[in-house]
Amino acid sequence: MSTEKIKDARRMVHWPGHMETDYIYTLGIAGEKFFTEMKNSGRIFAAKCKRCGFIYLPPRIYCERCFEKLTEWINVGTKGEVFTYTVAYVDVDSSKLKEPTIYAYIKFDGAHGGLIHKLGEVKHEDVQIGMPVEAVFKPLAERKANINDIKYFKPV
Amino acid sequence: MVGKKRVAVIGAGMTKFRRNLKETGKELSYEASKMALDQAGLELSDIKSVVMGTAPDAFDGVHMKGEYLADGAGAWEKPYSRVFVGGGTGVFAVDAGWWHVASGKFDTCLVVGEEKMSSCYPHPAYAFTTIFDQIYSRPLGVTLIWIFALEMHRYMHVHGITKEEIALVSVKNKRNALDHPCAQLGANITVEDVLNSEVLCWPVQRLDISPTSDGAAALVLASEDVAKKLTDDPVWIDGVGWCIDSTYWTNRDLYYPQYVQCAAQMAYKMAGIKNPPKEIDVAEVYDPFDYKELHHMEGLMLARKGQAAKLTAEGVTQRDGDLPINPSGGLLGVGNPIAAAGTMKCCEIFWQLRGEAGKRQVKGDPRTGLAQAWGDLMQYGSVVVMRS
Repeated sequence: MSTEKIKDARRMVHWPGHMETDYIYTLGIAGEKFFTEMKNSGRIFAAKCKRCGFIYLPPRIYCERCFEKLTEWINVGTKGEVFTYTVAYVDVDSSKLKEPTIYAYIKFDGAHGGLIHKLGEVKHEDVQIGMPVEAVFKPLAERKANINDIKYFKPV
Repeated sequence: MVGKKRVAVIGAGMTKFRRNLKETGKELSYEASKMALDQAGLELSDIKSVVMGTAPDAFDGVHMKGEYLADGAGAWEKPYSRVFVGGGTGVFAVDAGWWHVASGKFDTCLVVGEEKMSSCYPHPAYAFTTIFDQIYSRPLGVTLIWIFALEMHRYMHVHGITKEEIALVSVKNKRNALDHPCAQLGANITVEDVLNSEVLCWPVQRLDISPTSDGAAALVLASEDVAKKLTDDPVWIDGVGWCIDSTYWTNRDLYYPQYVQCAAQMAYKMAGIKNPPKEIDVAEVYDPFDYKELHHMEGLMLARKGQAAKLTAEGVTQRDGDLPINPSGGLLGVGNPIAAAGTMKCCEIFWQLRGEAGKRQVKGDPRTGLAQAWGDLMQYGSVVVMRS
């Protein structure tokens, strides 16, 4: 086997490859409804399984537990609580972020589950698990039917 | 007995784990496979089927890399398949090898785990960004580390576990790895070193994490009749289990890996294990992050919920403790070429149960061992239970 310790892969005899491909991802039936409601009316919907009672957020068109088709959509409001969070100091390449970013799993009342998103209008040292937060939406004209139509969640 | 044939492991092999190895993935697969065949005393022509475990194509940078790696894994003109369940692949490949032989279809199966992560330049973290949900997660700029940080924080919060307690895992595993000839990151470090290392995404710091690695590991499986002709020391695969939970982060209880429990229960039932901490003599538990060793010990029911940190602090999980965990040095110490790392854990249990682990050998005469891996979108558990 090779034994040399090599820090930079470019020092080895190599061929530089590239695998970039672009994609158009449809949001799906459930995703299109969810993000269209968010974009048009700033409302967050979950989908309820009539058979087992599980309320899915993010919503789906089927229950992954019993395979019932989900047709009942529930407005779960825009408030939740911080279930867990992290303060990211580095980007994907380990380079320092200019400002640390707080990411949280926000659990919604009235649903099983919630959304992962950023926290804003709060210092990271003041964030606590269990803290109530609410969604802050972009202005209507700037929304594009994606998860970033929510700018972040802020403390209530 | 589950299956038509009892299945034995009769040989194991692995490469060094390193960043930037010159060998291609095929060559790494060959080195590990050849070593496993040599230990089993078999030629390639004795191998009747091959299972390759390798994780996302984007690491090696070869789309459909199962096909690419086939010749290095000895699959020429043989029944061959690639299995892939993310980080769970390396142990699941052994589960899959088990059914090849247990079904009675093949007398032998070569199981290979491979990953060449450093092909992904400048950092394989970029490949990880495309494993997440493209609608809900990726537009937020998700990275692997902050996703784990969310889970680690929840686990710490629910049980009141401190960073100091978790850091003991990293200290133990890196020290264990000093005795592993293939290890990438064996070291004598302290809890303070971990706590003073760079904060990446709180509470995850640099020394809480396993490295980027290239490597391969392999096992030769054989049916009972073939195994008994070749060796006096077969190691039996007595339990296999695998399970997946919801792919949505927000639909799981992050503090507890239910999917690992389900996989373990499946394997324990098959192996007739009623009291895991008493009956398992040595375990290789998936540890890409230090907290994951504790998290997984609880999922495997080797510790009660919230108690794994206490066992670690008491020294129970040291190599000379009552329940040695990761005597190899684990992913934190030996390295983490994803699928190869899981298969390495199965190799270590094989060597431990044969008394062939050298300086890493746990005390006593271990008869029952367990290897576990975890992966996909961090909601997949795979388990194998072996007995000598």
